[in-house]
Amino acid sequence: MNRKMVAIKGMAIAAAFGLAATAISASAADDEVVLLGIWPFSGPYADIGPLLDHGAQVALEQFGNEVAGKKIKYITRDSETKAGTATRRAQEAIDGEGVKFMVGPWSSGVGLAVSEVAHRNKVMYAFSGGTEDLSGKRCNRYTFQWAAPAYTAVEANLRVFKKNNPEAKSIYLFVADYAFGWSLQKYAEMLAPKFDLTIAGVDRHPLGHREFSSYITKAVAANPDAIMMVNFGLDAVTALRQIYNFGFTPKKPVIMAWSSGTEELIQLDPEMRENLQVGTNYYWTIDNPENKAFVEAYRKKSGGVPPGYAPAAAYGMTHAILTGIKLANSAEPQKAIEALESYKGNTILGETSVNAKTHQINRPYFILKTKPKSEMKDEYDLATVIDQSSVQQPPELNECSDIGGF
Amino acid sequence: MTILIASQLLNGLATGMLYALVGVGLTLVLGMLNIPNFAHGALYAFGAYFTYTVVNLTGSFYLAVLIGPLLVVLMAFVLESQGIRRLYTAHHDYQLLFLFAMALILQEAIILIWGPVGFSVLTPRALSGVVDLGFIVYPAYRLALIVATILITVALWLFLTRTNVGAIVRAGIENREMVSVLGTDINRVFMLTFGLGAYLAGLAGALATPILGLTPSMGADMLPISFVIVVIAGLGSILGAIASGILIGIAQSLTTIWWPEASNIAIYVMMGMMIVLRPQGLFGTR
Repeated sequence: MNRKMVAIKGMAIAAAFGLAATAISASAADDEVVLLGIWPFSGPYADIGPLLDHGAQVALEQFGNEVAGKKIKYITRDSETKAGTATRRAQEAIDGEGVKFMVGPWSSGVGLAVSEVAHRNKVMYAFSGGTEDLSGKRCNRYTFQWAAPAYTAVEANLRVFKKNNPEAKSIYLFVADYAFGWSLQKYAEMLAPKFDLTIAGVDRHPLGHREFSSYITKAVAANPDAIMMVNFGLDAVTALRQIYNFGFTPKKPVIMAWSSGTEELIQLDPEMRENLQVGTNYYWTIDNPENKAFVEAYRKKSGGVPPGYAPAAAYGMTHAILTGIKLANSAEPQKAIEALESYKGNTILGETSVNAKTHQINRPYFILKTKPKSEMKDEYDLATVIDQSSVQQPPELNECSDIGGF
Repeated sequence: MTILIASQLLNGLATGMLYALVGVGLTLVLGMLNIPNFAHGALYAFGAYFTYTVVNLTGSFYLAVLIGPLLVVLMAFVLESQGIRRLYTAHHDYQLLFLFAMALILQEAIILIWGPVGFSVLTPRALSGVVDLGFIVYPAYRLALIVATILITVALWLFLTRTNVGAIVRAGIENREMVSVLGTDINRVFMLTFGLGAYLAGLAGALATPILGLTPSMGADMLPISFVIVVIAGLGSILGAIASGILIGIAQSLTTIWWPEASNIAIYVMMGMMIVLRPQGLFGTR
């Protein structure tokens, strides 16, 4: 066989595979609900990807892998925490697999980009992250935001801090330099005066930063009553270790404004966790039947490790999408969206509803106080929920003037 | 402002000395292989993880800092004798691919052995707390780190310049064919050099644990910085790697005073400027 014939045969076989894939995806769309979990299995949040995946799977199992009389086909793709990669893979999955519903990824900047793909392709999409733009100036009818608004988080953190530290006058901000950090910084600067606090200084650091001594030196020189950290994951954990090394904690408190809770706290030695106030979208001891069922199911998957914010968010987003489909009794994204827009009920977070004008999921935000080692019942008994806030962002501050149609 | 600058110089020196250890290790192996060791970051990470394990087993940080890097050397000997040595006569592409693969495999091995979630190591009691330097209150561990890394660097310099073995290592880096022709067992020299480079990476990882903690990606975080060090230093220059490591640490630190958001980018800007203005690096020769 000459080279030309080999090439032609090769191309023909490849084309046949492509045709088969198209046929399969077309038939899959008829009798299946295809849900894409786009998670970070590599890149800066690679450690979080599998946790997110497990959380989503618990929600699917609770629905019996069926919704609206159809089997759920759950597929995953690696976002790599890169906007370009995540959007390309999401588009490929939409085109090739017939995806109509999507959850993920795990970074505000990437989430904003994926939201555009969802909007363009009329795919129902849920995200959880600190950026206020998804339910703000870049809102669209197809996208829902599971995490609490940045306003709610900052208000709760500052209010509880001031209540527990009435003499405090100033805080110093460490801010992750991307969409999530900017959102929270804006409200910290706006709300601090309301609680008789001044901002002693602000330092923005790049995502993935690992050496905070220079920032800490500056903060210590400003002599604030607390450091408020508006960063996340390894950035937050690394900064806390070094803040402890510099002797700032436990003498003075540190506010983790937007923590993943369990996943971050467990990486720190108990001595490093002293005098922390931790703001989080979720903590595993939230006391309601829905959360107890979720925690029990998740721990069976994770070898006993309780869920933190990441798996809870993946569970919550997946659960929200499936609830929309179930309420609509239809696998058409538009009908599921309309159904979810009027949702009100109890979830793992407690009382939850959806703001139809912004697609912000209204839910409480939690403030934790870390426990000293002597009070911990086991290695996962890291903190106590000391406050929960449902103060929502005032409408005049929300920039989602018109969420648009389908 | 003067106090702030002085404080940041101190911060930069502590970070820079760690960078210097990693950079010197990479320079040694680079001189030997003529290609960058992509697995160098993974060896740094293993130094930290071995240290963490020994601390947990024995409760002694000092013992862990002694044993952890030596375990990395054993790993490096296996890596060199069973992998790289078989590729010395092959094209550089194969060596690059092998080392790149090893970097990925070793990082995944960390996740398999220790899990994806990071850990912390406390500073030893004697070095915990802070010291009042008059102009700044500074962590005792970081001061001890500066002193220890300076002593290690001096000892390394003396070993390489004042001992016969050191002279052979340097000669192997400069011209391996000539060393081989002169009757020295070049395989042993390469193994020793690779082991020494790995030891320095592992030692930096061990010493960094109380400051940076441990994560599976810590090697991947350090690798680009070590490449920048080597480029700024000049390929093959050990003295340059030390100076470059300190320079980068200080540059990062000082950048945070005026433009914190750019502290990560600053070192790459420096590298770019070096390539344009002085391609041979600080201490390299054309």
